[in-house]
Amino acid sequence: MLENVPILSLLLIVPFVGAMTTLLLGTSPKASKYLALVFSGITLVLSVLLLFNFSLSSTEAFQFRENYVWIQQLGISYNLAVDGISLPMVFLSALLVFLSILFSWDVEERTRTYMGLMLILEVGVLGVFMALDYFIFYVFWEVVLIPMYFLIAIWGGPSRAYASIKFFIYTHIASLVMLLGIFALYFTASPLLGSPSFGMEAIASVAGSFGHDLALIVFSALLFGFIVKMPMVPFHTWLPDAHVQAPTAGSVLLAGLLLKMGSYGVIRVCITTFNDLSHEATIMVALAVIGVVSIIYGAFACLAQTDLKKMVAYSSISHMGIVLLGIATMTELGLAAAVFQMFSHGLITAVLFMTCGMFQHKAGTREIPLLGGLAPKMPIVATIMMIGFMASLGLPGLVGFIAEFSVFTATYNIFDLWVLIPVMSVAITAAYYIWAMQRTIFGDLTTKIDTKHIHDSYWFETVPLAVLIGLIALFGIFPSLLMDIILPSVAPLAAVI
Amino acid sequence: MYWSELAWLIPIFPLIAFVVIGFLGNKLFKKAEGGGYVAIAMAAISCFISLMVAYEILSGGYPGELFKQSLLWINVPGQDLSFTFNIGIYIDTLAALMLIVVSFISTLVVIYSVGYMHEEGEKKRRYYAIISLFIGVMLGLVLSSNYLQMFIFWELVGLCSYLLIGFWYTKPSAASAAKKAFLVTRVGDIMFMLGLFIFFVGFGGNLDYEHIFNFNFEDFVGGNSMLTLGTFFIFGGAVGKSAQFPLHDWLPDAMEGPTTVSALIHAATMVKAGVYLVARSYPVMVETPDTMLIVAIVGGITALMAATMALNNPNIKRVLAYSTISQLGYMFLALGTGGYFFALTQEANAGYTSGMFHLMNHAFFKALLFLSAGAVIHAVHTEDMRLMGGLSKKLKITSLVMLIGCISIAGIPPLSGFWSKDEILASVWETGAENPIFYLLYIMGILTAFMTAFYMFRLWFMTFKGEPRDHHAYEHAHEAPKVMWVPLAILAVLAFGSGFALFMGFGEAIVPSIEHWHAHSEDIAGILTTIFSEWQTYLSIIAAALGIYLAYLMYIKKSINPDVFVATPGRKKVYDFLLARYGFTAGYDWIGLKVVYGLSLVVDWFDRKVIDGIVNGFASITVHLGNVLRKGQTGFVQTYAGVVLAGLSLIVILLFLLGGLI
Repeated sequence: MLENVPILSLLLIVPFVGAMTTLLLGTSPKASKYLALVFSGITLVLSVLLLFNFSLSSTEAFQFRENYVWIQQLGISYNLAVDGISLPMVFLSALLVFLSILFSWDVEERTRTYMGLMLILEVGVLGVFMALDYFIFYVFWEVVLIPMYFLIAIWGGPSRAYASIKFFIYTHIASLVMLLGIFALYFTASPLLGSPSFGMEAIASVAGSFGHDLALIVFSALLFGFIVKMPMVPFHTWLPDAHVQAPTAGSVLLAGLLLKMGSYGVIRVCITTFNDLSHEATIMVALAVIGVVSIIYGAFACLAQTDLKKMVAYSSISHMGIVLLGIATMTELGLAAAVFQMFSHGLITAVLFMTCGMFQHKAGTREIPLLGGLAPKMPIVATIMMIGFMASLGLPGLVGFIAEFSVFTATYNIFDLWVLIPVMSVAITAAYYIWAMQRTIFGDLTTKIDTKHIHDSYWFETVPLAVLIGLIALFGIFPSLLMDIILPSVAPLAAVI
Repeated sequence: MYWSELAWLIPIFPLIAFVVIGFLGNKLFKKAEGGGYVAIAMAAISCFISLMVAYEILSGGYPGELFKQSLLWINVPGQDLSFTFNIGIYIDTLAALMLIVVSFISTLVVIYSVGYMHEEGEKKRRYYAIISLFIGVMLGLVLSSNYLQMFIFWELVGLCSYLLIGFWYTKPSAASAAKKAFLVTRVGDIMFMLGLFIFFVGFGGNLDYEHIFNFNFEDFVGGNSMLTLGTFFIFGGAVGKSAQFPLHDWLPDAMEGPTTVSALIHAATMVKAGVYLVARSYPVMVETPDTMLIVAIVGGITALMAATMALNNPNIKRVLAYSTISQLGYMFLALGTGGYFFALTQEANAGYTSGMFHLMNHAFFKALLFLSAGAVIHAVHTEDMRLMGGLSKKLKITSLVMLIGCISIAGIPPLSGFWSKDEILASVWETGAENPIFYLLYIMGILTAFMTAFYMFRLWFMTFKGEPRDHHAYEHAHEAPKVMWVPLAILAVLAFGSGFALFMGFGEAIVPSIEHWHAHSEDIAGILTTIFSEWQTYLSIIAAALGIYLAYLMYIKKSINPDVFVATPGRKKVYDFLLARYGFTAGYDWIGLKVVYGLSLVVDWFDRKVIDGIVNGFASITVHLGNVLRKGQTGFVQTYAGVVLAGLSLIVILLFLLGGLI
């Protein structure tokens, strides 16, 4: 039914038009909210349509392709398509933006700009996940940066100026290194191809004859650009600061989507283009070491945090490390699990950041030592927190377990008993979550803050969270719904030619 | 049509109860004991199906020795190794036995809960929802057809345990105990996971029992040393779940939960999951004698150590908790012994069957003991035995059924505990011929038997005999309501008589599916002659009798004053050392706070000062250089946007120019 519909373009146009409409017509906060909700809702519906029309038996690597030559002299094309790696990310993006807009129903300050920026961000993120041309890939990549910067800088906490600038400069430097890598790809591949091209697939088809040293340098430049975004230790310190200051919806999109752009880049660009290189033992070990260091380091850092949101921010570093570890195995299981983990982390981290937002909103603070015994005061928030934490610590039956377990299995398969080190994080992760729950929602009711007016969650908070939890359970119980989409696309990457 | 084909319904019914009670709100169940009746009905249905299925399998009513069903869950094809994850059902005689124990005791506990939890108000809904979830996932664990599925339910069972230990979560001690249980068992779970990884890869990407049990172990990837490591890690999971040394210290704290939960989860069913895991893995385990030896040694150490901790504890539930740990130690000792013996001789001794036999008997008498203790606590509102005494006059039924439980666990014939404990000790002695370390384990087992009899009768005498020590509590004490004592009476009958299963062919019915494993078939007279013609039997009876006699001298006749054990500073030290649980509690805290948390503080410091320090250092250098250019930074969004746009256009122009060059 979607044969002749340019659905991928629509996925960009609808939120873009939505952003413009909201900015122009959102004269009252209420109007802005409804406009943003409607447009992001349409985008979500489109992404669901895409999901259901995606063929599992297709022999094509990419589906729904829209490929138009844009600037022929430079080899720039408007080339959009999705495969099993990008499709889950497209759906995740549309979902999280929609739910974040709903969750922000109580934003009264400059609502029009806020909602407009969220929709522009959606355009950028979707563009990154659908682009198959380095030029438009990079443009979308940069587009994402700007609304996020303003979301933090305008609606952020007390040190928002420092955090937003740090976020912008840090990730921008990474983008520039990545841009250098893209140029290197372009200028090396074009003569080999006979005509200039920014096409990802075209460049990948000749990247094998780059020469080992050049390939390694370009690979490293691109990798650096992506792992700063993920972010991996030691290039991660922009993330906790950005999260602590960002408004809740900003954090949800930052952790849920922007970090995925980094790991998506590693898969889509680094290991796809330089597939031979990626199968070399030194590269695999290097990626695994970065991943494992992030997993363990992030987990330990979590344990020391007193700000609930900062703890969740560090947990993202730890869980994105699992993604990189999965990629490092270069096996079907590891790669598929890495993509699965990206998706599941997107769902789970959204629940976690929304929970932090509710604590801030209701208790007035996220400082763990000031909280305590709040479960009887807000049973729904407490229940949601518990489900979110359980999902994040990898409880089976919820979506986080499948990815984590598969990555570790693949790790054992390739790296043998070294898996002992990352597996330790399972206990540390449980420790910081369980301990945080003990100190915030269990035990005696805190006397350090005024708890008289604490109330349970509002409908616009409960509904998005219920949707997320439903999906967390659905994909936890029926993981093959997602696995079957991902697998055909990662299989060629794992194959040694 | 066979009952076994309905086995998939067994976990479904309690899960339905969980969903209905948990999500349909308080209003619906305000009158119906917070959903208690729904929980009972669903547990009873699943118990009925379980019993029919178990009977069918145990009596050989189902064609073929076992029932299996399997659905593909995830399949990941790979170049040299494909991974297949299935979800299914696998019922052999072992699973059938577990089905009986779990479903039957669960149902009785839920019924008993109606009385015990009556005064909990709105919390009851949460209680019945979680307990139904627990029953469902525990039955799911038993029915699992592969290790991964078992691990999934294993973790969910752990979640329920966490939620129920922390049931009174506003009590800081309960929240803390729940955390401890979750984290300590999590350490075991890590080992379980490692075992699964090794199995997964070693057995060619499939964890189905059927696949693994029929595997040619010569082909195991990594050879026997890797297989040994795999079984060792699997056992590590069992150590956590079944509270074995050195991961045992969470179980006493878990007594913070309601007593019904202690009975169901921390005595009769969940902690047996570890024993079940080892028994389940027997066809693999017997290939690795080193692991079996470790299982036996850990079991022996745990049995003895936990028994000593029970000797002087004043808390009635704690004593029962230590006794649970100790009895679980017996089961592992039995399994380790049987497996080791088979690995060395290719002949079966009674280790395996006696371990499973003890599992069943212990489930009945320990559920009985805990629920009786619950009735006592319900009556006097304290768990401190020093405030009890003389209660047999007030709690006639409770004191009688508890006495049956005590005699049974002490190992006095003909009650059930005697038969299984005696068989365990006999097989340990027999294995001594293969490896003298088993003689030492035998002595530890006998000492444990002595201590078990002593502390159980100390408990009974202190609670029910002598003069009431707290008159206020005594005056207000009353017998439990019918809904509580009827389940107690049923359990008492089983605690008395479940040992007779030995004469009904228990040993032949419960055998692992291992080649060369031949169960000895004997008639009743033969079994009795064998048992009572060996001196070991009399030694264990004498040990038990001495334990009871000592308790009698100390707490009834009072010819030995209990204070002699704290009379000198040296003795007092030993006494306190036992109360401090050999320092394990402090040790766990030290690891948690000093090592793990300490390390996290170091990481946090490093993160803020070193890594972020470098980042900010770079930034400030740049700022100093950039001061010259600061006039360009107007702070207006429009300017920034303009700059970005200009930059982009510049890139495009540049590309045009460069493109022309190519």
